[in-house]
Amino acid sequence: MTAAQYPPQPSPDFDTEGFWEATADGRLALCRCVECGLWLQPPLERCRRCAGLTAFEDVAGTGTIYSFIVQRQPSVVGYLDAIPYVVALVELDEQAGLRLPARIVGIEPERVTVGMRVVVDLVALPGGDYVVPVFQPA
Amino acid sequence: MARSALSGAAIVGIGRTPFVRKSGRTTLGMASEAARDALRDAGLAPSDVDGFTCYSTGDSAGPMQVAHAIGVDDLGWSVGVSGGGNAVASVVAGAAAAVVTGQADVVIVYRVLGSGTRYGKAMDRVLAPGEGQFAAPHGYLVPPQWFAMWCRRHQHVYGSTSEDLGAIAVQQRAHAVNNPHAIARTPITIDDYLESRWINEPFRVFDCCYEVDGAVALVVTSAERAADLPNQPVYPLAVADANGQGGSVFEWDDMTSMYSREAAPRLWSRTGLGPADMDVALMYDCYTYTVMATLEDFGFCAKGEVGDFFRDGRATYGGDVVVNPHGGLLSEGYLHGLNHHYEAVLQLRGAAGDRQVPGAETALVTAGAGPFGGALVYATAPQ
Repeated sequence: MTAAQYPPQPSPDFDTEGFWEATADGRLALCRCVECGLWLQPPLERCRRCAGLTAFEDVAGTGTIYSFIVQRQPSVVGYLDAIPYVVALVELDEQAGLRLPARIVGIEPERVTVGMRVVVDLVALPGGDYVVPVFQPA
Repeated sequence: MARSALSGAAIVGIGRTPFVRKSGRTTLGMASEAARDALRDAGLAPSDVDGFTCYSTGDSAGPMQVAHAIGVDDLGWSVGVSGGGNAVASVVAGAAAAVVTGQADVVIVYRVLGSGTRYGKAMDRVLAPGEGQFAAPHGYLVPPQWFAMWCRRHQHVYGSTSEDLGAIAVQQRAHAVNNPHAIARTPITIDDYLESRWINEPFRVFDCCYEVDGAVALVVTSAERAADLPNQPVYPLAVADANGQGGSVFEWDDMTSMYSREAAPRLWSRTGLGPADMDVALMYDCYTYTVMATLEDFGFCAKGEVGDFFRDGRATYGGDVVVNPHGGLLSEGYLHGLNHHYEAVLQLRGAAGDRQVPGAETALVTAGAGPFGGALVYATAPQ
C-alpha cells in the first residue's frame, strides 16, 4: 500500500483529540458531559443539553449493529484490497442512539445482520499514527 | 387557513445547458449560459436583473462573477449559500422572499456543476476533519454509502426490498425516455436492475443518480411584473425546510424517515394542501431510497408501500401523482435538484411536450436527503 492508497487520516481538533489519544492508548472513550452524564458523539467542548464541561470516558466497547453496508466497488481510497468490506453504524450500549461508524471484521459479509451484537477491537490505521476501532461479532 | 406571502413572487423564466458527462467547460461559462437562457425565456434582459443567488459546495463560480459575466454591472442582492441538494428549496424561496420584501426586482437562481465535482467517489482524499474523522478512516465517506446505510435500516424495519428500489429506478427511466434532455434514456426492466452491479449493498448502480456537468437557472420576479411577461407565471405557494440533529448522517435517530418527517407537516400546514392535491411530484432522488423515504413522509403512501405504489402505476400518468416525469436525478441527470424546479415550471406551463402531465396545476418539489432538506409547492395560480 503506497501513501496515495492509504485510507483518509483523521484530522483531530481540540474537541476530538481525546478520542484519538484514547485509541492510541488501547481504549475506546467517548465524549461525555461531566455534569449531566449525556454522551456526545460527535464530541463537543460543552454539553449540548446543560452546557456543562465534557471529558472523554471509557465505554464498554459493546453494542448492536444499527445498519450496515457491504462495499463492493472502490469508492473511497483505502481498503481496496479488502473489497468487499463491511461498514456498520454500531449503537453502543451506553446510551440509546449513541453510534459509531466502523468496519466490521472477523465475519463474512453475507453473515452480517442488523441487530447483531458486536464488540470492539482497536487496530492500527494503515498509513499513519492512528488507531481506529473496528467491531467483530460478540 | 395559513397562507404564505411567497406567491407574491413568480418564476417567469427557466434556462439550462445540455447535461453531459464531461463538458471541459468552466462553471462560470455554464452558469452564464443557463442565466442568459433563462432571461431570454423570461423576455428580460441582463439590465433588468438586480439579484443573484446560488448554492454550492465551494465548487462553483459565485453570484457576483456570473452576474458580471452576463453584463450585470450592479447587484443589489447577492447571496451565495453553502449547501447541496438540501439547500434548494430555501434558496429558491429566499429569492422569492427578496422580491416580495422589495430587496430585489428580478433575481436569477442558478446551480452549476463542473467535472471537478463528483460526489460519488473520494479516491484522492488524504485528511478527514470534523465528524468525517470518525467515518472516513473506515473507507466510509461518500453519500451513496451514507444513504445505503439508511436504506438497509428501512429494509430491516419495514421489509422493503431490492425489487421495491428497482421499481422506482425502472419507472423513472421510463419517464426519461420521453425527455430529450435526459442523459439516460434507454429503458430498463426490473431484471436489468437486479442484474446491475453493486456499488455498496443495498445500492446498485441504478439506485444512484447520474452525475453530469451542466447548469440550470430560474428567473424570479414579482407576480405583478410577471403579468406583463410572456410566460404563464408559476407561483411558489409555500416552502418548508427541516434541518435536524446537527445534520449528522450517522446519528439521525430513525433512518427509515428523513428530514421530510418534519418538513412535510410544515409544508402541508402552510399551504392548506396535501399529497392528494399534487398533480406532479418532483422528488429529490440522489438515490432511489430518497424517493422511497420522502414519498412516505410526505404522505403519498404508508411506510413500506412505495414498491407497490410504483408497481401499481400510482406514480405515473393516470395514477395518483406523476413522480419525476423528467426522469429525475437518476435519469435526467444530477443537477443538484434545481432541474426539478425547471421541470415543475415546464409542467405547470403546460409546455412539457410528450411528457406533459395533463392539466397539471400543482407541483411538489422536494430537495435534500437524510437529516436536511426542504420542499416547495408551486401552482399555476397564487394563493
